[in-house]
Amino acid sequence: MKPNFKILAKQLFLWIFVFAVFSCENDPNDYESASYSKNPEVFIDTFSAGLNFSSYGGAVANAFQVDPDVAYNNSAASMRFDVPNVNDSSGSYAGGSFYTTVGRNLTGYDALTFWAKSTVAATIDVVGFGNDFGDNKYQASISGLQISTVWKKYIIPIPDPSKLTVEKGMFFISEGPENGNGYSFWVDEVKFEKLGTINPQQPKILNGEDVVQNAYVGVTNTIDGLACAFNMPNGINQGVNVTPAYFTFTSSNEAVATVNELGIVNTVGAGTAVISATVNGVEALGSLTINSSGTFVHAPTPTADPADVIPIFSDTYTNVPVNYYNGFWEPYQTTQSADFAVAGDNVLNYTNFNFVGIEFSSPTVDASGMSHLHVDLYIPNALPAGANFKVTLNDFGADGVFGGGNDTGATVTFTAPTLVSQGWISLNIPLASFGALASRAHLGQIVFEGANITNFYADNIYFQNDGSVIPPVPTTAAPTPSYPAANVTSIFSDAYTNLAGSDLNPNWGQGTVTTQVAIAGNNTLKYAGLNYQGLALAGGTNVSNRTFLHLDYYSANSTALNVYLISTGPVEKLQPLTVPTTAGWNSVDIPLSSFAPVNLNDVIQLKFDGNGDIYLDNVLFRN
Amino acid sequence: MKYFSRHTYNGGLAIALLSAISISLSGCDEDDKQSVSKHNWQLAWSDDFDGTAGILPDASKWGFDLGNNGGWGNAELENYTDDPENVSLDGDGHLVITAIQNGNSFTSARVNTKGKFSQAYGRVEARLKMPYGPGIWPAFWMLGANNAEVGWPQCGEIDIMELKGQAPNVINGTVHGPGYSAGGAISSSYALQNSRFDLDYHVFAVEWTENQIDFFVDDYLYKRVSKSDVPGEWVYDHPFFLILNVAVGGNYVGFPTAQTPFPQKMTIDYVKVYQ
Repeated sequence: MKPNFKILAKQLFLWIFVFAVFSCENDPNDYESASYSKNPEVFIDTFSAGLNFSSYGGAVANAFQVDPDVAYNNSAASMRFDVPNVNDSSGSYAGGSFYTTVGRNLTGYDALTFWAKSTVAATIDVVGFGNDFGDNKYQASISGLQISTVWKKYIIPIPDPSKLTVEKGMFFISEGPENGNGYSFWVDEVKFEKLGTINPQQPKILNGEDVVQNAYVGVTNTIDGLACAFNMPNGINQGVNVTPAYFTFTSSNEAVATVNELGIVNTVGAGTAVISATVNGVEALGSLTINSSGTFVHAPTPTADPADVIPIFSDTYTNVPVNYYNGFWEPYQTTQSADFAVAGDNVLNYTNFNFVGIEFSSPTVDASGMSHLHVDLYIPNALPAGANFKVTLNDFGADGVFGGGNDTGATVTFTAPTLVSQGWISLNIPLASFGALASRAHLGQIVFEGANITNFYADNIYFQNDGSVIPPVPTTAAPTPSYPAANVTSIFSDAYTNLAGSDLNPNWGQGTVTTQVAIAGNNTLKYAGLNYQGLALAGGTNVSNRTFLHLDYYSANSTALNVYLISTGPVEKLQPLTVPTTAGWNSVDIPLSSFAPVNLNDVIQLKFDGNGDIYLDNVLFRN
Repeated sequence: MKYFSRHTYNGGLAIALLSAISISLSGCDEDDKQSVSKHNWQLAWSDDFDGTAGILPDASKWGFDLGNNGGWGNAELENYTDDPENVSLDGDGHLVITAIQNGNSFTSARVNTKGKFSQAYGRVEARLKMPYGPGIWPAFWMLGANNAEVGWPQCGEIDIMELKGQAPNVINGTVHGPGYSAGGAISSSYALQNSRFDLDYHVFAVEWTENQIDFFVDDYLYKRVSKSDVPGEWVYDHPFFLILNVAVGGNYVGFPTAQTPFPQKMTIDYVKVYQ
């Protein structure tokens, strides 16, 4: 009797249910998408038809089990999730998605509901639906869902059921340890329902704010700050994480700006366009107004060799590490950033400008080999009288950090007519004009400060060496000579067999410190602190069969340099060498005839005099 | 004994299922209606709340209860005002009463027809859209116009609609009289199974004769209070005046929480009184 009655009751329930469903769904429109199942059940006592489960990467693979022992309302089974302890080698959390291979039509429901309980009171990290291991286009979820040790029903509202015509993501959940401890929770009776007792609150874009953005053709903005909330059957609002696809974005003027289904706004023309959005027909709070000035005039593209540049902000070069382009220095800074990109050209856009700092202190920049600071500026508004623009460079001193008592800074000020509006201004500031800088070896900040300039764009901020600054030590080896060995009598060169017995540093009482150093792996003669320096050959050498004296020399700091050829007598003759070497190694071929009256049949010594630090290589006679 | 108790339990379950299904059927089946005897009601008094947005309701019809009055006998929190931000026409033919939170204090509004209109018997109805949220307590109700002379509950009170914002799908209809007031009042509730009273307008009404008071939601009779039902004196044979208000907090509804959304609005499409 008893079992029979139970079966009868269940059959009765089924019959009534089927009748109820069919008696309500007599609208012909409902049959249009009949190819997709409208099955609301996800997991009642077991997996519903077509349902699959995959755990997420990094999750404990077998954290999910169908549990026949614990179930809501003493039904056949529930879903159990075993959350691991912290540092569990098999995974750091429990999580995965339940999805169907063929989508379902869920447009007739307004919520996903389920019952849950846990071994300890816990907060589920995230739980929702719409995660299909594909585009997750219509994903919706609740973060921080609090569950307890008694069975309770939970509701996840569907932001817009009309979107879920072919939904595969039925249910997903992800939960890590609570305070480092694992535990278990159960979920049961997972199904989509038409509750009717949920009141959608006004959705938001841009966090509900009306944002105004100046733009140009090609500028892209993203509508973010998307939020949906629902007043639940208990009168309390519940926030739901939503994907952009639930929002219908519109532009008031497609000739100015277009917006796609992901909320990406493209500026396509001049004028004003307002981007707004709806969710399920409800106007969202917040908007983006694009004020487009039309075609953007790009800053001039830098042409300097990357080897001569330390880039801070430029798309032409690979920038050095920069901490920030706007430090938002409290409390006096008003400057905001509204940076934009036009067709791949990133531009800094400082609005409500009074001053702003760019910091590049990790590590600091050694600009001692640089000659100029380059900044391209664009002031979009008319320039009032009295406007000025100041550029300050701050060096953080040997400690390389802000403060510490060794920082120095210097400022250069620009006014009209250097400053113009509505056209790019290329400031190429000699670093020498930052006279108060004790050093340029640990630069950490560029600070812009202005008067009567409310807004400007900046681009191509870099330190550059225009050639006037020579690195004190050559960064490359002297060029390797390619003359046939038969045409060469070499004194000092890695490329040839040198004359035997030469003394490269005879003691003539000179102050010069002479050493041999490796420059890029090439043995190089270095005269430090030159006053004069001899170079003695083993004996009288006949170079009358050669045509030139060849030298490669390099000096960043010499202001005078002569080379002498000496024959027995002594008979000597100098030839001046151009210093400093502004273009790297200087290779010279001096006609031996110009050393007359030196006897070319009997050359015994060479000599250099002048000042500074000299690097010397490939000292040879050649034809 | 055990067998029978299980049997009874299962039978009860089956009946509960049947009744749940029959409700969903009634939602689909337009023919399933009550047959309530129809009266030939004549419109005696009404307000459609037509007028310019932002102005107060017609002063010839409506007055205001102001302040907190010691919690209005219910430990209510709100301070009633006649500020248009709490009570004004919306320009689309509605009166809107708005409960506003200012930190830990709340303002709202309570309008009444005291001294301007009162009537004994008839049909009294309003088309309303409710506010919601824990501790929000909107009401459409009537008090005996002799309340100043005889006091409450001797004057009688007919609550055509009260709602607790933490259960936005349930309303209550209640009568208070001597010997059966406050917690002892005669009350009945009506719940929407698949909706709630803030999603759409609903018509709340009583049909009041010398022998009975019938309570309706959308013309569905959910409670009849007959003269023989009241455990004390029947005090509903004299004129009553109308009141519409949104209370915040109090003994009846409980108190708002940090999760109660504010502001909250009760939107009144019309009030009509028939003779």
